[in-house]
Amino acid sequence: MRFVAIFKAVTKNWLRSRTGLFFSIMFPIMMLFIFGSIFGGSNYVPTMTAAFIMTNGIIGLTSTNTEFKRRGIIRRLSITPLTKADWIVGCVLSQTLLNLVLTGIMIGIGWIAFSVRVIPDPLTILMIFLGSVLFSGIGMALSGSLKDVEAASAIGNVISYPMMFLSGVFVPLSIMPSTLQLVSKFIPLTYFSDGLKAAIITKSTGTTLFDMGIVAALAVVFIALGVLLTRWKEK
Amino acid sequence: MLEVQDLVKEYADVKAVDGISFSVNDGEVFAFLGPNGAGKTTTVEILECLRPLTNGSAYVCGYDITKESEVREIKKNIGVLPQDYNALDKLTVKENIELIAEMYDKHLKVADVIKLLELEDKANAKFENLSGGLKQRVGIAAALVSDPRLVFLDEPTTGLDPRARRDVWDVLTNLKNLGKTVFLTTHYMEEAQVLADRIAIINKGKIVAIGSPQELIDKYGGLKILIVRKADKILADKLEDKFEHVSVDSNGDVHIKIENTEEPYQIMSFLTQMKAERDVEIQTPTLEDVFLKITGSKISEEGGAK
Repeated sequence: MRFVAIFKAVTKNWLRSRTGLFFSIMFPIMMLFIFGSIFGGSNYVPTMTAAFIMTNGIIGLTSTNTEFKRRGIIRRLSITPLTKADWIVGCVLSQTLLNLVLTGIMIGIGWIAFSVRVIPDPLTILMIFLGSVLFSGIGMALSGSLKDVEAASAIGNVISYPMMFLSGVFVPLSIMPSTLQLVSKFIPLTYFSDGLKAAIITKSTGTTLFDMGIVAALAVVFIALGVLLTRWKEK
Repeated sequence: MLEVQDLVKEYADVKAVDGISFSVNDGEVFAFLGPNGAGKTTTVEILECLRPLTNGSAYVCGYDITKESEVREIKKNIGVLPQDYNALDKLTVKENIELIAEMYDKHLKVADVIKLLELEDKANAKFENLSGGLKQRVGIAAALVSDPRLVFLDEPTTGLDPRARRDVWDVLTNLKNLGKTVFLTTHYMEEAQVLADRIAIINKGKIVAIGSPQELIDKYGGLKILIVRKADKILADKLEDKFEHVSVDSNGDVHIKIENTEEPYQIMSFLTQMKAERDVEIQTPTLEDVFLKITGSKISEEGGAK
């Protein structure tokens, strides 16, 4: 149960970090208010939630883990009986908790500010969990292969922002050129965002399950990549 | 406790560790002394199972470091203070030690370790708000919380101010008194001399001397020197006539190398006869002299060879 200790420690460390708290929770809320006020809230509650679950994994977790690596914290833990799997599971669970809190807040704001009245069901929670695993996996894979925090943050941004625009989070896919619509089919966020929208807003179980299957498959691939690239021993 | 035989570590065309052999006994404080880049940290990291070796063999607490199946047992039995120790910044001292404790099936009470390291006042302080010396003490507490059989301390006082360094020495002396087996790396001669039962001097990846501090000094340190302060020209000439190995420095101090135990008495008696009341001091060789004699260089405060 070492992963529980990692989960507790990493979560506490994050909760006490004002910068982490701002970018993980406050920034998404701000963006939801801006886009929801301009274009209406119903679409943006699930898509913004999905987008920021992605950035929490790809930018947030990558930066945090690269910083842990640079400061020798991961190396210190690797000298104990802690396994790589325990470390990764602990970090992914911490991200999942953060993302569930974020989803709750986004839905709450949807209720209060945009009259988007939804109650998350088990399928939504499962979707959030799988999305958290997928993007944490990408974060783990990136932080496993990068050494400095600046590079991690830059690469995280380079990956995240095009994904946000090309997955229909900000602008509906239907108004995009056909080439970009084709590109969107190769972007993980497209399926996560669509799946979450189907689970929360349209309540289309078929679409949710289809997207969930793709997100789950990608989650397995990226977690495996994360495990592979996270080094527990130096050269 | 620790057996190392012909250990080699190569990176591309560089031999970081070049065929070293040594052993560490139970309850012993063993110091690895050498300048930066000598191969100290590489050796320690191989023994901590953080890096693979290129050649040779090493057994830590009786387990083979090259066998993956035994690595887990090694990790259960060692405590480590890595170089440049860091912990989770936003967690408190207690929480950081607890985190390491929870990695082990059996561990000491965190409160007891905090008490041992005299960290009670800082137990609820965030790690990020601690001074360098206190951070090292937290690192030592984390290394001890699993009640390890063997403790590795990699450069535990590097970068600390003299007072913080002395505080850490007190902690390490305490460990020594508790009978812990400690493997210490350092580039501070005084640290090795004060704390270690035995020292291996490592230079350019090779162990160039090994023994207790006194054995090394006796073997390589050279002769003791008796210094007669502020001797005038006449006195200096007379001392030069009477004794061998006499030299005068720019301050007018006369240095006489002592070849036997009788000689200091003879010099003192001579000074009394000459009615020459001068301050007299006997300088004994140190590990610095040993290092200089063996390697032809000194170690700077920052750890570089000069």
